[in-house]
Amino acid sequence: MKPVSIWVMFLLIPFMSKAWATDPVWFGDSNAPRVLYINSAMDLASFEPILRAFVVQHPTIKVAYRDVNTLELYYLTIKEQQKPEASLVISSAMDLHLKLVNDGYAQSYQSSFTDRLPDNFKWRNQLFAFSLEPIVMLVNKKAFPGDLPEDRQSLLQTIRQNEKTMTKRIGTYDIRQSGVGYLLASQDARQADVTWGRLLEAFGSHDVQTYCCTHDIIDDVASGKLVLGYNLLGSYASQRAQEDDRLKMILPKDYTLMLMRAALIPKGAPNSEDAGVFLDFLLSDNAQKMMQTQGLLFPIWPDSSSPNDPYVVNAPGPTGVIELDQQLLVGRDYAKQKRFIRNWEMALEISEDD
Amino acid sequence: MWQKSLNHQNLSKEEEENALKKAPSLRFRFILAGVLVIGIIAGLAINLIFDYSQKLADLSYDRLLRSALLQMDENVGLMRNEVSIDIPWSAFATLAQADEDRVFYKVESLEQGFITGYQDLNSEPPQPPKIDQIQFYNQEYSGEMVRFAWIQRHLTDPETAQTVRIVLGQTRLSREEMAAAVTQKAVEVVVFIALVAITLIIIGSHLVLRPLHRIERALEERAMGDLTPIVINTPKETHHLKVAINHFMARLQTNLEQLENYTADAAHQLRTPLASLKALAENARDITSFGDHSVDGTASERQRQALDNIVRQCDALSQTVTLLLNQAVVSHRLQTHRLEPMDLLIPIAASCREQAVTALHQGVHLSLDCDLKETLILGDSFSIQQMMQNLIENAVRYSGSNAQKATEVIVQVNAFERFYRIKVIDYGDGIPDDEKERVFERFYRGRYDIAGSGVGLAMVKDIVDHHSARLQILDTEPKGTTFQVDFAKFRFDEGVL
Repeated sequence: MKPVSIWVMFLLIPFMSKAWATDPVWFGDSNAPRVLYINSAMDLASFEPILRAFVVQHPTIKVAYRDVNTLELYYLTIKEQQKPEASLVISSAMDLHLKLVNDGYAQSYQSSFTDRLPDNFKWRNQLFAFSLEPIVMLVNKKAFPGDLPEDRQSLLQTIRQNEKTMTKRIGTYDIRQSGVGYLLASQDARQADVTWGRLLEAFGSHDVQTYCCTHDIIDDVASGKLVLGYNLLGSYASQRAQEDDRLKMILPKDYTLMLMRAALIPKGAPNSEDAGVFLDFLLSDNAQKMMQTQGLLFPIWPDSSSPNDPYVVNAPGPTGVIELDQQLLVGRDYAKQKRFIRNWEMALEISEDD
Repeated sequence: MWQKSLNHQNLSKEEEENALKKAPSLRFRFILAGVLVIGIIAGLAINLIFDYSQKLADLSYDRLLRSALLQMDENVGLMRNEVSIDIPWSAFATLAQADEDRVFYKVESLEQGFITGYQDLNSEPPQPPKIDQIQFYNQEYSGEMVRFAWIQRHLTDPETAQTVRIVLGQTRLSREEMAAAVTQKAVEVVVFIALVAITLIIIGSHLVLRPLHRIERALEERAMGDLTPIVINTPKETHHLKVAINHFMARLQTNLEQLENYTADAAHQLRTPLASLKALAENARDITSFGDHSVDGTASERQRQALDNIVRQCDALSQTVTLLLNQAVVSHRLQTHRLEPMDLLIPIAASCREQAVTALHQGVHLSLDCDLKETLILGDSFSIQQMMQNLIENAVRYSGSNAQKATEVIVQVNAFERFYRIKVIDYGDGIPDDEKERVFERFYRGRYDIAGSGVGLAMVKDIVDHHSARLQILDTEPKGTTFQVDFAKFRFDEGVL
């Protein structure tokens, strides 16, 4: 067997049955003649209002929404390439999505809405970003020892000074299970290799907890099981931090990664017309405004009229926007990915068969 | 004389317009040829541009591809005797300059097999691989035409040696876009230049033909009968046309003048005998009316004499008319009939026979002195007969009128190497030297005491000239005149002359 497939199989076996067995959530009139299947790696909490608004605006379409983990989403899309079930695939793992487009699994779409989109928010008219959010640290204010960290350096310092408190109480993505987790780790390594190395070493020596999904980390931070979640998606963290007093969202001062959520229409997708309609809706001023006002996502075009709006990114330091172009392929290079994950496992002292 | 169009007809306006429509247009041809040439040149240029823009785009984007490939190549190394590669982000940042182009690559080692990239990318360069040399080529992959850069090199280590092969490909979208942009600009320029050139040709053709129109108008606007030279200014190229037209008009003028003179003289020639005929007739009438009462024999005798005079005068008139008619016929034949091979002797003998009796009436013995069998020349038999007739008549007439009247006219025909010589010899009074030049002038008459029209010898000169023959007037020994005409022999090998 090819090494790639072995790798794929190894990664997928635990989730396959679970992921594809999930029943979709339906929106809209059950008698609507048109069905739009969306596979998405996005928490329904952040997306539900948008879907509802969509079916109100388009009563002839009903939407079947299926939440899938980013990495599974990637393999699912490849698996279904002959006969895709989903009309639209939405993910925050920009690199995997870009690779899907590069490898020819997506079809082109063009409308006045996509034409309005700046060039760096789309690729080949096949991949379209509709939100841009910061990657943050989330802390439990009460549980966190000492001052809250401003950046990665101060986080390292806190870990060193409070070894006992911090052990087993930092949570981050399992980059083997989460596509977006891998993307963020690889971007960290790219942005600041030395800092990333130290961070990884500190995480390893303090038994960092790894998770598949953002909301699990947030839950554990909120409950106090963890004191800090590292590299979380800003939209989820922000949503929860607003509701929950115990939580505080921190944009690292040394650099703040900015991540896009992107959508593509698989080649040969059923009902690709309505996929386009939905995409146009996502890019419309209406939906963009809704993301901001209802605190769902960070829109591409935020309305910066209110200065204290948490959905307008106001990073204390430089931002590193993860560019939506061919460079993302490097992170997903087979050899590089293998080496990166092995290094990560070694640093975190996790064996391969864990 | 001048030649008239054989079936001259006055074209109606409509017919003229039709003819104009059918006639080929100089300007149209000129423009057509110009447009064709420019079209071909523009076509070639556009073809070249297509080729060139493609090459240009490839050249530019191949640099990016080469740079990315070299960055990848630089990061290939041996780790624990295994080939490994850490693709630098910058390599793909370079490729990302072609914003929309998909990227495919494969790194493999001949010993170790697949290392990273797209495993099913089995791309072979068109040329046999050379170590350390980058090859560029187009090949289809993943449903699109892809530009590949290909390199193979050895990796050596004290313990192991491997051959690494890197293939890096990029779709051609940006290249095509750039080529199209370059092509479009260049084609716009070429088309613009071509249109300007065609416009210049059209304007040029108008300017070139304008002098012709000016000459045309100058001729068109002339009063009837105006044959003065054209005096408008024309460029060098049409100068010769103008000069030719002016020469032509001058000739026409001369011809017209000749015709006028001829008509006037012919009228004069006919008027004189007609006037004397009228006088004689009146005379005869008067004799009859006055001598009514007497039975005098002298009256009827005088009347008979008067009638005799009338008859003689009629003969003379008839001769003149015949001569004029013959001259007209000869002139027409010379203009319209082609010269043909003929026997010179036949018309000579015929005219001698015809004139022999008339000559005898005047007491002159006419003899033909010739022992040739065949005398082929290129000529017109009727004209030559007319010529001989005139020469003989002339010789007989001038043989002398007084007492020492000569009684012999001899026609001689001799053969020389290249020509036949005809001599008509008389023993009359001869022609003074100062008149020899003038006898061929139309209506010139040496002596007015001898009857004659004055057109005979002029006609002879016309016929001789038309046959390119040579005519000389010599003196006969002891007295008299010899007309000598030389006709070139007809030779089959040359065809003419």
